[in-house]
Amino acid sequence: MIKVENLSKEFTLTKQQRKEYATTTNKAIAVNDISFECQPGKVFSLLGPNGAGKTTTLRMLSTIFKPTNGSINIAGIDAIKYAQEARKKIGFLTGSTGLYARLTPNEVIAYFAQLYGIPKADYQARREHLYSLLDMHDFQNKRIGKLSTGMKQKVSICRTMIHDPEVVIFDEPTSGLDVITAENIIKLIQDCKIQGKTVIFSSHIMSEVDLLCDDLAIIHKGNLLYSGSMSDFRSNMKESNITAEFIRIVHESQNTVVL
Amino acid sequence: MIFKIFKKELKDTLRDRRTLIMMLVIPVLIFPIILNVFVGISASFTEEVAQKSLKIGVVGSEQNYFIDKFIALPEQLGKKEIIFLTDTSQLNKLIQEDSLDLALVIPSSFDSTFAKLKPAEINLIYDATDVGIDERARNYVQHIEGIAKQERYIDLQIDETKLMPFQVNYVNVASKKEMIGKLVGGILPYVFIAFGFIGCMYPAIDLFTGEKERGTIETLLTTPVKRWHILFGKMGVVVISGLLAASAALLGLFLSIEVFDLVENEELLNIIHEVLSFEFVIMLFALLFPLTVFFAGVMIPIAVYTKSFKEAQSIITPLNIVMVLPAMIGFFPGIELDPVTAAIPVINIVLATKELIAGTLEFQLLLISFSVMVTLAIMAVLVSYKQFDKESNIVI
Repeated sequence: MIKVENLSKEFTLTKQQRKEYATTTNKAIAVNDISFECQPGKVFSLLGPNGAGKTTTLRMLSTIFKPTNGSINIAGIDAIKYAQEARKKIGFLTGSTGLYARLTPNEVIAYFAQLYGIPKADYQARREHLYSLLDMHDFQNKRIGKLSTGMKQKVSICRTMIHDPEVVIFDEPTSGLDVITAENIIKLIQDCKIQGKTVIFSSHIMSEVDLLCDDLAIIHKGNLLYSGSMSDFRSNMKESNITAEFIRIVHESQNTVVL
Repeated sequence: MIFKIFKKELKDTLRDRRTLIMMLVIPVLIFPIILNVFVGISASFTEEVAQKSLKIGVVGSEQNYFIDKFIALPEQLGKKEIIFLTDTSQLNKLIQEDSLDLALVIPSSFDSTFAKLKPAEINLIYDATDVGIDERARNYVQHIEGIAKQERYIDLQIDETKLMPFQVNYVNVASKKEMIGKLVGGILPYVFIAFGFIGCMYPAIDLFTGEKERGTIETLLTTPVKRWHILFGKMGVVVISGLLAASAALLGLFLSIEVFDLVENEELLNIIHEVLSFEFVIMLFALLFPLTVFFAGVMIPIAVYTKSFKEAQSIITPLNIVMVLPAMIGFFPGIELDPVTAAIPVINIVLATKELIAGTLEFQLLLISFSVMVTLAIMAVLVSYKQFDKESNIVI
């Protein structure tokens, strides 16, 4: 389970950044007091346009960033206080994830298994299971730099799942992938759901959201605009399809003057 | 956990062709190439100058004391071809365009002045940019002057020893080893320092900026590994790379001497053998270790801060000049390790190594040098840790 309460993140702007954003303020609020809950066995989608604060939120959940305010609970662990313990429960995959091009899939998987402190016997069994599932045996000893995008994606998935995480965080996992390669990720998310894992993924591709998610939250400019179940979202739509409804909600928030 | 990270990063680094070339190939080749070129050029140059037959223009009578002796000079002093000229108007031009190597202008009054036992004038005209010509000319003159002096001592019945007021014996207490250590010993640590720096540079950029650029750092940071473990594991590889590059340079020096036989001077060879002992190598690495940690500690915050390989390289490369060039001060004879120079980082290592080669390294000064470098290395590591712990630095 993931439980987020009143989560905020402020960044201090450098002189250069203040120039770039044409602002005189020293701080930028990337995430502003958001709260939501992701349940095990369900897929939660974090929706928002570019620059909405999705990546910052997911980086806080995965303990890369420390929040300015608020609390994060990952599988019953306070992820701010006990970040290292929480990380053992998290699998993290982003669309921009790179792999060590000079190593082989076997070496990368073994390395991450060591970092997660997986016992040797468990590691062998999990690796075998994932290699069979993802059909990775043929290229397990080839340098990653020489693999195709699809093969690399499979290695990334295997790396994310090698420690059998309870919570899986995907940050725009299919961005830049073709439909066939993206299918591996879609299948992974569906498998995680079946296995009772807590899944959160960020996206701005509405067809993916429609296909996969049980619950969703919409954020824009760091503010939470909607949080609820997908079925409630569908039944309360004022537009004919979810893409149009998403656009309507974002536009409406821009027209709202906060006093 | 630090060792696991270290092992993986070392494997990754050793598979990078660019790093391998800079870290191992070039340092191994540098000494054999430098020595080969140096020995080759100096040998061929010395031979060329010795073999060269000088074209010498003579203006003056074809028969006088000096010319007679000049024609009769032994061939060991160098081959020569004498061309008699009638006037001096074209002499400078002929020398400048290399038609002549040297010209002798002997006034017609030479013999009469010489006979009166007065200094007879001779003009030697040469181009100083033609290396070795003036030395040959001086040798010719000294030889003839020697003969003339002997003849005069006999004619005047003077005991030559009476014209020597002193018998000076110069006694040099410095051994050849000391002289080599103090005069040219700075080159060895300079090369090690330079390669230690370059050896650290590529892994530092690759393991920090490169990991950010390739998008692998995020996944590493989501593993249950403490950040300082990641930093130390990576830093270990940067330091080892610097030491490996310096070791490769030492191996190159060893190969030049023992395998390629590039040093032929027996005496020099014996001194080098004496210097390159096991103890010397251990001491050298003990001095280089804190220096390499310091280099790594200076480079890592830059590599952590920068966002691309190019940006990191553009900052660290000029740093090379700032950090390694001062080591050249150690080249100058006369600058020695004392309590002041022992407190100046980098220079202290060069000077301490010079003393080490000369066999005159004092323990107290070594301790100051070592303490200064260790303190700086610790400070640099702390700065690295602070930078690596900054959210804004580690993720693009």
